[in-house]
Amino acid sequence: MGNLIKSEWFKLTRDRSFRVLTGLLIAVAILFPLLEFDGGDLGLPPVKDYYLNNVLSVHADIVKLIPSILAGFFITSEYSIGTMKSIASSGNSRLRIYFAKLTIFSVGAIVISLILPIFMTGASAVYFGFNDMPEWAFYFQTVGLIALYGAAFASIMAIFATLFSDSGKTIGFLLLLFLMVDWPLQVLAAKVPFFEPIISHSVFVLIYDIVNVSKLENNDVVMMVVIPVLTYLAAGVIGSLIFQRKEIK
Amino acid sequence: MDDYVLQTNQLSKKYQDNMALDKVNVSIKQGQIYGFIGQNGAGKSTLIRLICGLAKPTTGKIELFGKSNEHNLIQARKRIGTIIEGPALYPNMTAAENLEAHRLLKGIPGEDCIEKTLTLVGLDDTGKKKAKNFSLGMKQRLGIAIALLGDPEFLILDEPINGLDPMGVVEIRGLLKKLNQEYGITILISSHILSELHLLATHYGIIHNGKLIEQMSLKELNDKCQQYLHIKVNDPNKAATIIENHFNTKDFEVMPNGSIKLFDFVDVPGEVSQTLTNQQLVIKEFMPMGEDLETYFSKRIGGASNG
Repeated sequence: MGNLIKSEWFKLTRDRSFRVLTGLLIAVAILFPLLEFDGGDLGLPPVKDYYLNNVLSVHADIVKLIPSILAGFFITSEYSIGTMKSIASSGNSRLRIYFAKLTIFSVGAIVISLILPIFMTGASAVYFGFNDMPEWAFYFQTVGLIALYGAAFASIMAIFATLFSDSGKTIGFLLLLFLMVDWPLQVLAAKVPFFEPIISHSVFVLIYDIVNVSKLENNDVVMMVVIPVLTYLAAGVIGSLIFQRKEIK
Repeated sequence: MDDYVLQTNQLSKKYQDNMALDKVNVSIKQGQIYGFIGQNGAGKSTLIRLICGLAKPTTGKIELFGKSNEHNLIQARKRIGTIIEGPALYPNMTAAENLEAHRLLKGIPGEDCIEKTLTLVGLDDTGKKKAKNFSLGMKQRLGIAIALLGDPEFLILDEPINGLDPMGVVEIRGLLKKLNQEYGITILISSHILSELHLLATHYGIIHNGKLIEQMSLKELNDKCQQYLHIKVNDPNKAATIIENHFNTKDFEVMPNGSIKLFDFVDVPGEVSQTLTNQQLVIKEFMPMGEDLETYFSKRIGGASNG
């Protein structure tokens, strides 16, 4: 397993899409707070407000959408360029191959998900001053949860990236899925009472509660942590079963 | 039994209604270069994909280095190197980076094998050039380099000379012969270029419509394909004596039916017939015979199709 992880890490660090996405997000994180200087009489916002209103307001979209692009290039492209054939015939079990890929893809997704919370907060602190920083406990809680949900969504993305054999299809499908999924889930939860508790306790809904983590009861915070971990494992098992049965072309 | 690198037993693969592979029994011994011949869709790639674990057989058994159960087969695949339907390269990586990714994947210790392998395939001077900018020949050589990482005992090469220019074909042929003769690597190679395969393989398997219709050694193939003059005269013994004395050759056979197969002087049939006529022999039949691999293959699959 160690050799597979090393190989996947080597590939991720040289993956052009990963480099471009991280580069773009870092550029956005550094440049976007500069727009506040154009705020007129309102002046510069405190960093804690900026973190709450600007950084955390977009985290769900970043976590769900940007790694979808990486999934297409980092996972599905292995099928389209044929390298998955040499990986699958390398004398490693499919289970290990899948989890090595998933592990490193999740690391990539977490890195992408954390760029804004870290770099944007850092940049805004430099620009606006280090007074009124977010509370460290709240900051680390939100950053930790964003990382967890990033991994959970990565595990879901990996299923579809394994099902498809074309990067474009994977990216298109995942972007559409994550852009549209909230509405049908809401309808389903409202119309079918059986699904309501499942949907309202899924990562698709809970991700929006990250911003409210400081106001949640202890039990709810535990659930906020446990659900993405379970999602990661369940999606990992489903994905690995699909991969073990997949005929590699 | 132990020196078999690969054996398949009644191996079949069915896709919906299509029998891609039908009860195939392939045997490849250590040290052989096994040429796998078949038309497009005959089942060559399907067999290779089953051996490499990319697809699961519908029925039948694969034995690789004497191992046949699922877990041991996966382990046995550590001892093989593959090119399946073209070289599998990361286009945005250099040759050395491509090898590094595969070295890590295979868990090969030390980076010195990368330089050694690149030198072996003649890609040691590619520097920072990305694989996507390589010529087809360079890509094929890089594919072979990847397959060679970890000193495999068995190379499985599916169409490794596709699209190569004549010089590239000669280079790859030389490399594969060297790997076989100097390093003892067993090779399974499929190719459409039968004339090239004829210069390389020591054994052959002909597959048609998913069925392995024939396996043979190079000697057996040469016996079947060898060019000769078919001669039938009124006195075969006298003709044999004349051939032996006049042409100073023993490379002929007198067949039970009285005809003679002369494997020498094939390129000067006029001289042979003139000599026999001058010795007052009556020539009843006289014709050059024999086939090359292409003709033999066409005949075999034609026969298989008809039969």
